[in-house]
Parts: sequence; C-alpha cells; structure tokens
Amino acid sequence: MKKLLVAASIAMMGLTGTAAADENYPERPIMLMVSYGAGGATDFQARIVTMTAGNEDALGMPIAIINKPGAGGRVGWNWFATQADADGYTLGAYNIPHFIAQSIEGGVEYGADSFEPIANWGADPAVFVVAADSEFNSMADVVDYAKENPGRLTFSGAGLFVGHHIAALQLEKAAGVKLAYIPNNQGGAGAMKAVIAGEVLGGVNNLSDAFRAREAGNVKILGVFDLERNDFLPDVPTLREQGFDIDNASVNFRGVMVPKGTPQPVIDKLAEVLPTMFENGRVQGRMKAGGSPMHIMTRAEVIEMWKAREVTLKELLAGL
Amino acid sequence: MTSLPRTQHVIASGLVAAVGIWVAYLSFTQEPADAFLFPRMISSVFVVLALFTFGKAVLGHTKVGNGLDRQSMANIAPGLIVALIFVFWAAKSLGFYTASTIAFFVLLSLYDPAPHGAASSWIKRIAISAGFLVVMYGLFAKLLNVFTPREIFF
Amino acid sequence: MEFLLYFGDVFTPFNFGLLLIGTIGGLILGATPGLSPTMAVALLIPFTFRLEPAQGLILLGAAYTSTVAGGAVSAILLKIPGAPANIATTLDGHTMAQQGHGARALQLSFLASAVGGVFGVLLLIFLTPVLAQWALAFGPSHLFWLAILGVTVIGSLDSSSVVKGLLSGCIGLWLATIGFDDILGAQRFIFHSSVSGGINVIPALIGLFAIPQVITMFAKGRRRLNAEVLAVERHPIHKAFREVFRRSRALSIGTLTGSIIGLIPGVGGQIAGLVAYDQARKMSPERDKFGTGHSEGVIAAESANNAMVGPSLVPLLTLSIPGSPTAAVLLGGLLIHGIFPGSDLFDTNPDVAWTFSHSMLGGQIQMCIFGLYVAGLAAKVAQVPIAVMGAVVLGLAVFGSYSVQNSMGDVYVMAALGTGMYFLERFGFSAAPLVLGLILGPIAEANFIQGSMIANATSSMGAYFLTGTLNIVLIAIVVLSIGYSVWMELRHRRFITKDDAARKKEALS
Repeated sequence: MKKLLVAASIAMMGLTGTAAADENYPERPIMLMVSYGAGGATDFQARIVTMTAGNEDALGMPIAIINKPGAGGRVGWNWFATQADADGYTLGAYNIPHFIAQSIEGGVEYGADSFEPIANWGADPAVFVVAADSEFNSMADVVDYAKENPGRLTFSGAGLFVGHHIAALQLEKAAGVKLAYIPNNQGGAGAMKAVIAGEVLGGVNNLSDAFRAREAGNVKILGVFDLERNDFLPDVPTLREQGFDIDNASVNFRGVMVPKGTPQPVIDKLAEVLPTMFENGRVQGRMKAGGSPMHIMTRAEVIEMWKAREVTLKELLAGL
Repeated sequence: MTSLPRTQHVIASGLVAAVGIWVAYLSFTQEPADAFLFPRMISSVFVVLALFTFGKAVLGHTKVGNGLDRQSMANIAPGLIVALIFVFWAAKSLGFYTASTIAFFVLLSLYDPAPHGAASSWIKRIAISAGFLVVMYGLFAKLLNVFTPREIFF
Repeated sequence: MEFLLYFGDVFTPFNFGLLLIGTIGGLILGATPGLSPTMAVALLIPFTFRLEPAQGLILLGAAYTSTVAGGAVSAILLKIPGAPANIATTLDGHTMAQQGHGARALQLSFLASAVGGVFGVLLLIFLTPVLAQWALAFGPSHLFWLAILGVTVIGSLDSSSVVKGLLSGCIGLWLATIGFDDILGAQRFIFHSSVSGGINVIPALIGLFAIPQVITMFAKGRRRLNAEVLAVERHPIHKAFREVFRRSRALSIGTLTGSIIGLIPGVGGQIAGLVAYDQARKMSPERDKFGTGHSEGVIAAESANNAMVGPSLVPLLTLSIPGSPTAAVLLGGLLIHGIFPGSDLFDTNPDVAWTFSHSMLGGQIQMCIFGLYVAGLAAKVAQVPIAVMGAVVLGLAVFGSYSVQNSMGDVYVMAALGTGMYFLERFGFSAAPLVLGLILGPIAEANFIQGSMIANATSSMGAYFLTGTLNIVLIAIVVLSIGYSVWMELRHRRFITKDDAARKKEALS
C-alpha cells in the first residue's frame, strides 16, 4: 500500500511537470522563433542549422521555425521576452548587436538579461558596398567625398540599431565625418537594391549578400567591418587596414536562446546538444554553399560575448 | 425609407468619425514626432472624409448601405454570441479542437433548418461535427504541424 | 535552341513526379486559408534538402505557381482570399458561386490563370535582361506614389461611394501604422496587447473577408432547406474554353497588366489582380455588370495574378534582388543548393535555370488540368447547407489565422476586424480598399521616410517627390482615377434614384 502511494505521488510529480519531465525533454516538437521574415538571412540559416534536430543523436524531435517579423526584430523579441513559454519548447534566434542595441536605445521590453543564450552558429560581418559603376574604389575615396560634402553622402543599411547602423556610426566616429545613413525597411535585400539602382551612393550590407551581389557583377566591396579579412573575400581589406579604428562590434552574431526562467536541466541539455548539431557535416556543407560564414560558440563563450558587446554598444550609442 | 437606417447611419458614421478624431489627436500629440509624421498625414485625410460622411448622414443624404433590419438583428444575435464566446474564450481555455467542434455543433443546431424534434437530424448533426473535427485535425495537426493550444481537453 | 534543350529534363519520371507533387500540394496549400504562397513555399523547402538542385527547384517552382492559383478556390467558394493576390477574384467570383455558377467561375479562373501564367513565364525566359533594368527604375518616391495609387484606385473602385471607399482606405492605412514603426522602432497606437506586434496581414485578410460572410449567413436565419439550395449548374469544360477566349479583352488586359506590375519590386504581386480588375472594368462596355457575377472580372483578376508570377522573379534571377517575400524564400531554396542567382545564372547553371523556368511552364499547365478537375467537384460545395458552410468557414478562419504565427492575438484581431467589417459593410464601406491600405501602408510609409531622408541629404523634398517623369505620371493617374470616379458618381446620381441604388445593392448582397 505504501509503495502504491509512493508510486502515485511520483506519478503526480510527473504530471505537474517538474523534475521528471525535464529528464525526458524533449517529448514533442520544438519551436524556434525567428524575428525576421521567411527568406531573410537569419531565417534561411536557422532552417539549415536546425534541420538535423530530429536525428536520434541530436534532440530526437524536429524544430519548427516560426517567423515573427517587424520593426527590425523588435516585434519578435518583445513577444519572446513577454509571452513565450519558458518550458524549453520555445526557442528564439538572437541577432547580436541588434537586440542589445535596441534595448539600450529603449522602448522595448527586453534586455540582455531577459534571455539565456544556448549556442552561437554564425557570424556575418558588415561590409561597405558601392555600385559596380561607382567612382569610389576605396574607403578613402568615400571618406574624401564625405569631407567635401558633409551630410550628403547617402548610404543604405538594414534599419536603425542593427549591425549595419552600428557599423555606420563607427565609420562616422573613426573618420570624423558626417554621413547620411538611410535605413531600409526590407532588410539587407532592400538596402542592396537601393545601392544597385543608384538611389544611394553606397551601403553597408551583410557579407553573404554582398558576396553574391559581387559574383553577379552588380557591386564593388570596399571594406570589411571586422578584425580580420574573411575567407569568402580574401581580397577585400578590413576597415582597420585602411586606417580606420573600427573593431568587430557590428559583426552580426546569430544563435539560439531561450527565455529567462527556463528550467536549468533543459538549458544544460540544449547547450550540450546544439553545438554538435551545428558541427554536423551536412549542415556545414549547406551553410558554405549558401555563402553563410559559420562561427560556432558554446553557451559560456556566448555569455562572455553578450557582456562585452553590451559595454561597447553603451559607449558607442551614448553620444546619440 | 424609414428612419431606422438613418439613425443607424448617423451612429455608424459618428463612430468612424470619433475613431478618426482620436487617431488624429494621438498622431499630433505623441512623441517622437518623426515616427508620427505619416500617421499625421493619413489622419488628416481620415478626419476630413469621416466628418464629410457624418455630415451627410445627419442630413439624411446617405445613398449607399441599407443598415440592419430588426429581423436580421434577431437572426444574427445568437450565432454571433456563440462565435464570439468561441473565439475570445473557449478556443484558448478548452483547447482548439474541443472548442471548435462544440461551436460547430451549436451553430449547426441553431441555424440548420432540419427539425429539432427528429432524432435522425440530431444524429446527422453529430456526424457532421465529428467529420469536421477529423478534417481539421488531419489538415492542421498532421499535415501542417501546427501546435494549437490544448489546455483542458485538446 | 538552348531553350528546348532542357525541356526533356522536366519529363523524366522522377522529375515529372515531383512536378505533380508540387502542383497538387500547392493547390491544396493555396486553398487553405491562412497559408500564403510565401508560407507554402517556405514549408516545402526542407523537402528539397535531399534533392538535386534542379529537382528541388522543380518542386518549388511548381508549388509557387499553383499556390497562387489555388487561392482562387477559397476566394470563389468561401470568399476567403488565400492571399492578397486573390482579393479581386472574390468580387465577381464569389457572386458567381452564389448564383450557382461556382464550377464555371473556377473553370474560368484556372483557364485564365494558365494563359496569364504561361505568358508571364515566357516573358521571364526571353526578356529577363531587358526587364531587369525597368524593374530597377522604381526608387523610393515612385514606390510611395505607387502605393498611394494602389489605395486610391481601389478606394474609388467601389463605385457606390468614392468618399466611403477612400475612407475605408484611410482606415486600412491607419491600421497598418499600429505597432512598432518599421524604421524608427517607436510604438504607436498600441491600445491592446494583441496588437503590440502590429496587425498581421494574413489574419486580417481572413477576418475582413470571411467573418462578414459568416455573419451574413447567420442573418439569413433558420430557413427551410429547399428555399436555400442553390441551383447548381454543371458546366462543360469546352464552354469555359470558348468563354475565356471570347472574353479576350479582359484576358489580354489581365495578362499584360499582371506582367508589367509583377516586375515592380515590393508592390507588384499584391495589387496586380486589383489593378487589372479595375482596368478591365473601365474598358468594358458592360462595366455595370462588374461586381454582379460577371465573368470578365474573374478572368481579368486571375490572369493577372498568375501572369505576375514569372516577371516577379526577374529581379531575383538577374540582380539577385528578391522582389517579393515569396521570391525571397525561393532565393533561400537556391542558396541551399549553392546557386547564386545573378545575370550570369543562365550561363553558369543552365541546367538549373532552364529546368526551373520549364518546371514553371509545366506547373502552369498541370495546375490548369487539376484545377479543372477540382472545379468539377466544386459544384458539390455549393450544395452544402449554409448553416454548415458558416460553421466551417468560422472554424477555418480561427485555425488559419492561428497557424500563421502560432499566436492567439492574431485570432482576436481577426475576429474583431471581421465583426467590425460586417457592420461597416452594412453602411456602405467595403473591405477591399481597407485591406489594400493595410498592405500598402507600410510600403508607402517606409518609402516616404527613406525618400525624405535622401531628399534632405541631396536636394529638397518637393524636387524629390514631385519632379521626374515617372513621379508625374503616377501622380496624374492618382488624380485622374479619383476625378473619374467622382465624375461618374455625380453623373450617375442624376438618373439613378435612391430606390434603384438600393435595389442594385440588394441584388449584390
């Protein structure tokens, strides 16, 4: 009789969903929220890196992508911070520096401490592009033009308080000039169209998109906003090589996170499994084919990176 | 024409005008001004058109739209109440499939002209509701993999 | 000829099987409320992981063409447009279904879709490099005026009242500003937590079109069955063939308008059907019949929205710029297989590029064949008692709007907008301009802000928005379309009395 009671109470604990449930996690398909539209770079990469989740050696359950686009990612991350269930079945994709910069700027309901990072899968540096027939051939040409025409050098990027905008601010600060940054509401693709069509004189864009546009013969790439040259573009110098003191604060890091309050065993399990999923040979092959640079980081490394970014961005945005 | 549609037109266009004025008020008072530039443009046009429509309704010059007669209102009320309870409360707290099947069955009982006295028509209603449940479950849960709220039942 | 060289590839048994799966899957997904073509193609992308590049694209190309046409099924039978592209189809198509001509409306829509679609794909194949430059000519100021044009054309389309049409457009534009401002990130008009992320277009579309429909069915009350059964007329296919080609004016207006408008990045796909419908109406000697179940309306709208499919891929395939959300998803599908679209795509990867365009041609034709088969079955749907129909539409609307983003807020927005729209419709407002305002509002606003930023940095606002041939042409069309409609309305009033207008309205509802 006593045994039966013990068994019943264990069963009850299982039903109320505490310790017992965590051990069996995951028991049903998982959802990954992407705060950009279907077809965007983040969405596209998220679909590839999660495609092996259903394998037995990974999570054993598929991950489905849910898009919540709008206002440079604010719509999705607001939802994720305030309404998503912290049960381990709702994951979110993060973009650094975007959401940290937005939380510093204010008007949103999240900050770096609203989320728990799991693992990082990619790092896409910003680059400076001009149309193929442009008279600019180096960053020095661009800055010279801006010095002669203060505030009249128009250049596009994927919105305000996203990686591109941070790169633009860094360029203004390092070169000591005033530029006219034109944010686009259709992300990197829209900003690239503005450059190719000649609506603006130049643009900051994602390395992966710019690489493709250059292959198609539409643009020239003048510089990379990163510490080192990139494997996809070994011939393009960094901004630092061209004499501008700019670090990698604008590099777009992409990875997976969960809302604060998710049970620790679930976080541990995800943090252990996800990096191995990203290392899967098929995933790597698809990412390379798509021109998307990978950069796998564990949970501990991502926590460090978030902290460091928050300090740099606060400094950079303080002047605005 | 009776005066019922005319009164209804005044109420309807008055509500639209009130929304317009509210939108315009917010657009011109809220900060940051840059973000409200476009709403200001729209709401100005909105208010002008809405007041014009309201004026026409008050003078009884409205030409289009028949309003609602008493018979339609009586017909709509029960179905609309069931539908609103389903959407705003039952779907979330009972689970999508349970709630929609119940709502489906109730609506069928309310509007299906088959006699309420005969047992055969009730069997038919239950069978159609069950069929509806199966099709919805197959389409959304199995084919499209949508995870709907399940709460109390499923 | 290179064009023909790769035709055989489409007809190997495996590829042909994929084409079949893509087409049938696309028709089913397209007809499901809540699934836009964009989502349907995104859902299929994981299935292409294991396929060869060309095979994956056969699947995606066929699915894209047939989801756009599949949307017509629910637009005609249930008055739920599957996507913004199908809004114009509901105007005459659903009325035809109510009159018992559902099968005929579907047959016409699939035949018109196939004609428009094939023409569009041929344009894509033969004129891509020429068209690419044309597509780029639209900058922020032009896109701003084009979006405004979209709203005013549709606003004045509802010929019963220009003022109320434009007012509906304004309501839609306002609804589009709710939520976060797309560029500056400021919060606007958030009066309830359901709209904190803004109003999502697909649930709004479902609510605005489907819910008034459900309530109208309630309004008919509990009547005897025999009084309500629609006279269902079986419609032989050869008659539909003859009718489509007899209506060659509507067909060619639809096809041409759709092809041209489809090229414009960002705006085209959404308004092609409506603009073609409006043009066909203005040029038709029987313009009074539009909106009362006139076949020209269905033909123009559906030929246009499938004609736009091919050209909408021109900016993608030549410049690597996705012109529409669906094109962006297709770009993802290409990239996964390591194919970078660009002006040299047809040289570097001819097998992929040609197979892709051929699969779209094949898809159009298969879509037509299966669509006609569906149309035969559709006659049965019209026989479903209205009580069952109302309850089914309500259930589909709730599930469909939830499944877009797994969000309960979307369901509330859908129901609230839909209920409000029913009452507005009773007082002469219409849903189409409201939806267009909602769709084009963000495009108009973002381009206005970008344009004014560029203008402030380079020249002046006036010079940027009001000069230049393209700007002036677009402004002229805006002014003329409003002026023409006001004039028509005033002229009409002289010899149509109030009672006539009421009777005409009654016949429509």
